[in-house]
Amino acid sequence: MDLIFSLLINGLATGMLIFLLAAGLTLIFGLMSVLNFAHGGLFIWGAYTGVWFYQMTNSFFLGIIVAIITGLLIGYVTERIIVRPVYGNHIQQILITLGFMLVLQELIKVVFGPQQIAVFPPEWLSGSFLVGDVVLIKYRLFIIAVGILVFAICMFILKKTRIGLIVRAGVINKEMVQSLGINIRLVFMLVFMVGAALAALSGILHAPYSGNLYAEMGLEFSILAFIVVVIGGMGSFTGSLLAALLVGLAQAFMAYYFPALSLAVNMLLMTIVLVFRPQGLFRVKG
Amino acid sequence: MNLRHVERSTWIYLAFALVLFIVPFLVTGRSMQFIIIQIFIFGIFAMSYDLLLGYTGIISFGHVMFFGIGAYSTGIIMDRMEPTIPNMLLSVLVAFIIAGIVSFIVGILTLRLKSHFYAMLTLALAGLFLVAAEKWRDVTGGYDGFTFRVPDILRESQNLYFLSLVSLVLIFFGLRRLTKSPFGRVLMSIRENEQRTESLGYKVLHYKVIASVVSGVIASFAGVLYIISIRFVNTDVFATDLTIDVLLMTIIGGVGTLIGPIIGAGLIEFAHHWLSSLSDVHWIFERWIILYGTVYILVVIFFPLGIVGTIRAKFLGSSAKKGLKDNQKSEAI
Amino acid sequence: MNSLLNLNQVAANIGQYHILHDISFEVPSGGVTVLLGRNGAGKTTTLRTIMGLNPASKGSITFKNEEISRLKPHIIANRGIGYVPEDQGIFGDLTVGENIRVAMKKEDEGTTKRMEWVLELFPDLKKFWKKPGGQLSGGQKQMLAIARAYVNENELLLIDEPSKGLAPIIVEKVMDSINQMKEKTTILLVEQNFMMASKIGDQFYIIDDGQTIHNGQMEELKEDKVLMKKYLGIS
Repeated sequence: MDLIFSLLINGLATGMLIFLLAAGLTLIFGLMSVLNFAHGGLFIWGAYTGVWFYQMTNSFFLGIIVAIITGLLIGYVTERIIVRPVYGNHIQQILITLGFMLVLQELIKVVFGPQQIAVFPPEWLSGSFLVGDVVLIKYRLFIIAVGILVFAICMFILKKTRIGLIVRAGVINKEMVQSLGINIRLVFMLVFMVGAALAALSGILHAPYSGNLYAEMGLEFSILAFIVVVIGGMGSFTGSLLAALLVGLAQAFMAYYFPALSLAVNMLLMTIVLVFRPQGLFRVKG
Repeated sequence: MNLRHVERSTWIYLAFALVLFIVPFLVTGRSMQFIIIQIFIFGIFAMSYDLLLGYTGIISFGHVMFFGIGAYSTGIIMDRMEPTIPNMLLSVLVAFIIAGIVSFIVGILTLRLKSHFYAMLTLALAGLFLVAAEKWRDVTGGYDGFTFRVPDILRESQNLYFLSLVSLVLIFFGLRRLTKSPFGRVLMSIRENEQRTESLGYKVLHYKVIASVVSGVIASFAGVLYIISIRFVNTDVFATDLTIDVLLMTIIGGVGTLIGPIIGAGLIEFAHHWLSSLSDVHWIFERWIILYGTVYILVVIFFPLGIVGTIRAKFLGSSAKKGLKDNQKSEAI
Repeated sequence: MNSLLNLNQVAANIGQYHILHDISFEVPSGGVTVLLGRNGAGKTTTLRTIMGLNPASKGSITFKNEEISRLKPHIIANRGIGYVPEDQGIFGDLTVGENIRVAMKKEDEGTTKRMEWVLELFPDLKKFWKKPGGQLSGGQKQMLAIARAYVNENELLLIDEPSKGLAPIIVEKVMDSINQMKEKTTILLVEQNFMMASKIGDQFYIIDDGQTIHNGQMEELKEDKVLMKKYLGIS
């Protein structure tokens, strides 16, 4: 029983991390049909700058703030320099964002060195609670809590504010949004930056969770995020949460019971969804 | 065949090939010959990629899986059986069959998807092959890999040189023939406008699948040659880096030109070699990928036709290709 | 010049196809101007070109005597042009209320008044305020699209085939509302349904093969059987 419970917590924590990464990806795609292959680069940059600051100041909180700021800044640069020149041309977009991913990944090695970095949770988040027979690892609960918080904030913004309304409308029909006098590019840049910040947040949270940090992590996590975005339906925010939790849980349980198959299961899930329901499980209606 | 009907460019290419046949008698240094062999092999790999990207407008981020299939087929057969020529030919056959089947299945399942889904799915599938190779250590040796022996005749650098060169030339002319055939015209018409091609009565999916099978089989052959040239195989032959290398070669050289990817392979292999040797001077040169990535991004934005395409567009005007044109309706934003 | 909108020798392409060759017309302030013409003549593209969604490749478009043909769609919209596209462009996942709120740039008195007025005109919208736009009937969607274009202080509404796909009785209703609206704003209407066009239109232009070839007052057109047959296929 406690094994299942601990796998559950594990899966939810992984799922939340993937969700943070996928949330930006799905909205960016929904708004501008840009599939950002550089998204994983923002993840590792958030992780490295955050951890660097965390280890320097010994404040995890400050590390998170630095990661988010990094995400916003690189997000801005990416949108302006990399994505903007190739709007409307899917082939160029795909090629160029992958190239930028590569550059971001290599730059990490230049700035922070190519070796792995060991990372531990801060003191106030290490250790665990004991509830009955069940061991609850604090840091995993923390990740789940942050995930829920971010989801709630994003939902509030999407549902209750004017900018959120515009984003939701833009995902459905961007031409119409423009025809109503709204500068969709500005909205898109904002979403891009927020998405980048979420990816960076996911990176810094992931570092103490996995215990180490290396540059290639970005591409690996991107693949999981892509799987989530496809399963959840491109452009669907809630869909990406549910799909992320699904993938996270599948990952956790498979890693325990059939370790060799853990990636294969998610891949299989994505292939099935793509082949039989290419619009994803939670489709955005036009 | 009446020689008068042979295009002038064919003679030029043949002349070049002849010059290349003389090179190993002039350049006898083994390391230099090795670099040129690598260029030929990656030239083949990049041409196979060009058939997809340049001629059909398909972006695959998982092309390395076919390369890896070829590499492992030969590596494993050479290792488990005697390193003789018949066994090597057998391994080529095995590579072709596996690559053919995999590219067929992947193609059937995924080629009806839109470009970004396809790119994403192939990236993930190649990742799956990499993981499989890492986990299946009994057969692949995992990341540590294994060394193996090759037929004695191919241990000779010059022989390997001729084998690679002959393969390159044959595949180049074969693909050139293919792309100029009615079949090739349909592929290009798919690249230009998929819906229109479909409405003209062509089964677009069939053509795409055939293109991806041909491309996959050729890529697996490049993998076979590569692994014979280094006589060692590990999971690196499935690494995404290789897909990115081949992407760079194709795009920098010029998509949809066949000769461009070969030139791209030459540039990148040489640059790779020189930049790595500069790492003694300054460690930054170990990170040469940054330079590549930057050049690549600039090329995609400013010279989407690549070297050969840009030159052709400038001097020949009329035959200008469309480069990385999107075949979906672009949106006014 | 007291025309509100002025197109002069406008040309536009979609991809490699030249859709508009030579479109020239004037929309005077007040009243309803109707663009008529066969399917595929370029009427919808003309409206999209005015909105900047399909930019003009040649010619000039002026609105209130200012050139707008090189501007981005949202800037054109903010100059005071509302747009009801052929497919109505309803945000299906958003409620009726949200659909209207997206359009509302200000929450001032004027906007509130306009909204109240338009909701009185279309009581259905008030009734289904919290229903997702995608679940409305065709006629209700059309009303929502018109209301949405109207809530901002727009001086010109571009309405593309409001009668398309609607039952005759609903067409009647939509027509009535446009008739009431024309007291308050200028309307440029694309319409295939000649009955409807002739009832609410003041003046017309005929577009054929991407060119404006004829214009006049609606009253005259009703008499001109030859013209109607030749360009509109109505006898």
